[in-house]
Amino acid sequence: MAVEFSKESKAHFEEILTRYPKKRAAIMPTLWLAQKDFGYLSHEVLAYVAELIEESPAFVASVASFYTMYYKKPMGRHHVQVCTNLSCALVGSDNIVNCIKEKLGIGLGETTPDGKFSLDEVECLASCGTGPMMQIDDDYWEGLTTEKTLEILEKLAAG
Amino acid sequence: MPKLEIDGQEVEVANGTNLVQAAEQLGTEVPHYCYHPGLPVAGNCRMCLVEIEKMPKLQIACNTRANEGMVVHTKSDRVLRARESVLEFLLVNHPIDCPICDQAGECKLQDYYMDHDRQESRIPLESKVSKGKAIDIGPMIMLDQERCILCTRCTRFLDEVTGTSELGIFERGNHCQIDLFPGVMLDNPYSGNVADICPVGALTNKDFRFRTRVWYLESTPSVCPGCATGCNIDIHHRSGEVFRYRPRHNPDVNSYWMCDEGRLSYKRYQGEGRLLQPVQRAGEDWQPIAWDAAVGRFVDVLKGDKRIAGVISAQSSNEEIFLFDQLVREQLSGQVAGHSWSPEGASSDELLIDGDKNPNTAGLTELGLTLDARKIIDSALAGEIDTLVLYGTDLTQVCTVEEIAELGDKLDAAIVLDLRYGPSLEIADLVLPIASYAEIEGSFINRQRRCQVLGRSMEPTGHSWPGWQLLTKVAGSLGAPSHDSASAVFERIADKHAAFRGLTLAGLAGLGAPLGGATSGDG
Ligand code: SF4
Ligand code: SF4
Ligand code: FES
Ligand code: FES
Repeated sequence: MAVEFSKESKAHFEEILTRYPKKRAAIMPTLWLAQKDFGYLSHEVLAYVAELIEESPAFVASVASFYTMYYKKPMGRHHVQVCTNLSCALVGSDNIVNCIKEKLGIGLGETTPDGKFSLDEVECLASCGTGPMMQIDDDYWEGLTTEKTLEILEKLAAG
Repeated sequence: MPKLEIDGQEVEVANGTNLVQAAEQLGTEVPHYCYHPGLPVAGNCRMCLVEIEKMPKLQIACNTRANEGMVVHTKSDRVLRARESVLEFLLVNHPIDCPICDQAGECKLQDYYMDHDRQESRIPLESKVSKGKAIDIGPMIMLDQERCILCTRCTRFLDEVTGTSELGIFERGNHCQIDLFPGVMLDNPYSGNVADICPVGALTNKDFRFRTRVWYLESTPSVCPGCATGCNIDIHHRSGEVFRYRPRHNPDVNSYWMCDEGRLSYKRYQGEGRLLQPVQRAGEDWQPIAWDAAVGRFVDVLKGDKRIAGVISAQSSNEEIFLFDQLVREQLSGQVAGHSWSPEGASSDELLIDGDKNPNTAGLTELGLTLDARKIIDSALAGEIDTLVLYGTDLTQVCTVEEIAELGDKLDAAIVLDLRYGPSLEIADLVLPIASYAEIEGSFINRQRRCQVLGRSMEPTGHSWPGWQLLTKVAGSLGAPSHDSASAVFERIADKHAAFRGLTLAGLAGLGAPLGGATSGDG
């Protein structure tokens, strides 16, 4: 079945277009919108975006491939991103990563079989003063301990 | 017209000329990868850095316009050091597999490395990022992602020239690679060009891969025989075998490009099926006959009070067409027609490909022939012709199989002059093998009425003869003045036909030239 934006997303896309002199320039917010709508950027979605902004699928796919925040494969409901950059590493981000791996039973770059969580390590999220820290979906969780981390995960798992 | 100084030499260039081109005018090569004169400038490889006085940093020559009073250095120490660094950078993840790379010998990485780098790699082979090798991406092209230097020539060609955009650059940093969008193939009618413009061994021509090393090849400038466009090409050959065609730049005809169909058309002229020696019919069989005897027999058949007709195909050169017409029409008072045939549904487009799959239909009409071969067949079927001479003409393109058999009964004699075995031999009494267009000197006229020269790349196959030589010999035996070269035949053409006046084969070498005057309907 061909993919298509919801009615709201279509309207949103039209609004995005008004911000740019050329359709091509709307590629990033359109991909973002598509990711929100479809969960991740499958080949069909990329081709759909290409059609919308009148560019080639290869061009759209190459832009999407450049950025890690565009998902090219299905993701869990919650995306857990733990900073393992220098400042966080110095205050024990390793322990946090290990405890999450154990709790969820998955490795980095993987998704739990129930589709609830995906786990990634990321570079500095500019919250160095309050490390170790992680970002889950759009929220920051700072000053993490293993207990606090497990508590957060359990709450989300139940929610 | 800005005047500037490059490496101490003054040069005046046209407005808008970039520094790579300006240096070229002085015979200086500024090394470059991403810049290609047929594509928009990208400026991403940094190989073309030059020093410009009063500018603090080195500048890329490809994207810098020549300006009045500029003082440019292309060989200063700073420039040489920069080149060395750029090359080291481009080679960071390169697999250095030249011994198994088809590009070796015509690879800009090899060439520039030898000219400007020559240092040990600081990256051990095992810590290089490895990527895909020998990926089949379409009917013409094989991709090796590791060898790619990400110059984007291929993607710019596909974006700007064909507009098909099959390839893109995926991922980032060390992992950047050229790839197809999933489910797409690089199969547009011009895909072969990307192998020509790829400066390294990342995109190679599947048809050519591993058949020879490029340094064994000789190159002869010529014209593609694939259609009426007449793209300019170089024929790359060795010991009488063609290995590939490469497009040759002609701004008025094909720019830097050619189509895939034309690129592979060399195959039609070699291998199985070529006629190798004169033969005559002996009942059901063919009997070899020496050339002298064959020419003698041909002359005998034409002599006397006979009704003669000839058909010559639009695959023939101007020189062959002219001599054929002179012989049959002028000397023997026979009828002549040209034959220009293309298969039904033949490809054509707006870019280069013409639906007329003959390289010299315009030659037939410019030399005064009609294109009505069928009329001659009709008179033959009506018993109005004694002797039919078929020059490169496949009868099945003009009549049915039954009609061919009927022709055999009606004619006293049929002579076939051709490159290869074909249905016309069915009715032939005498078959004379002629050399292919790659084996003769001569000329074609393309759809723009541009007269272009064929390069003689190799000796005629087997015991075949160049057509013009055979025709002039026969005409000579029947009392006409003979010619000792294709150029001499061309001189005669220029004498007789106003449109050719002032042209010579030697003068047309290179890019060719338009015919004079205008034909009807050609404003
Ligand atoms: S494949 Fe060749 S032409 Fe294309 S970007 Fe790589 S090096 Fe350049
Ligand atoms: S467009 Fe015609 S002349 Fe040009 S390469 Fe193709 S077949 Fe040959
Ligand atoms: S190092 Fe972890 S937020 Fe900066
Ligand atoms: S040729 Fe100038 S930057 Fe590549």
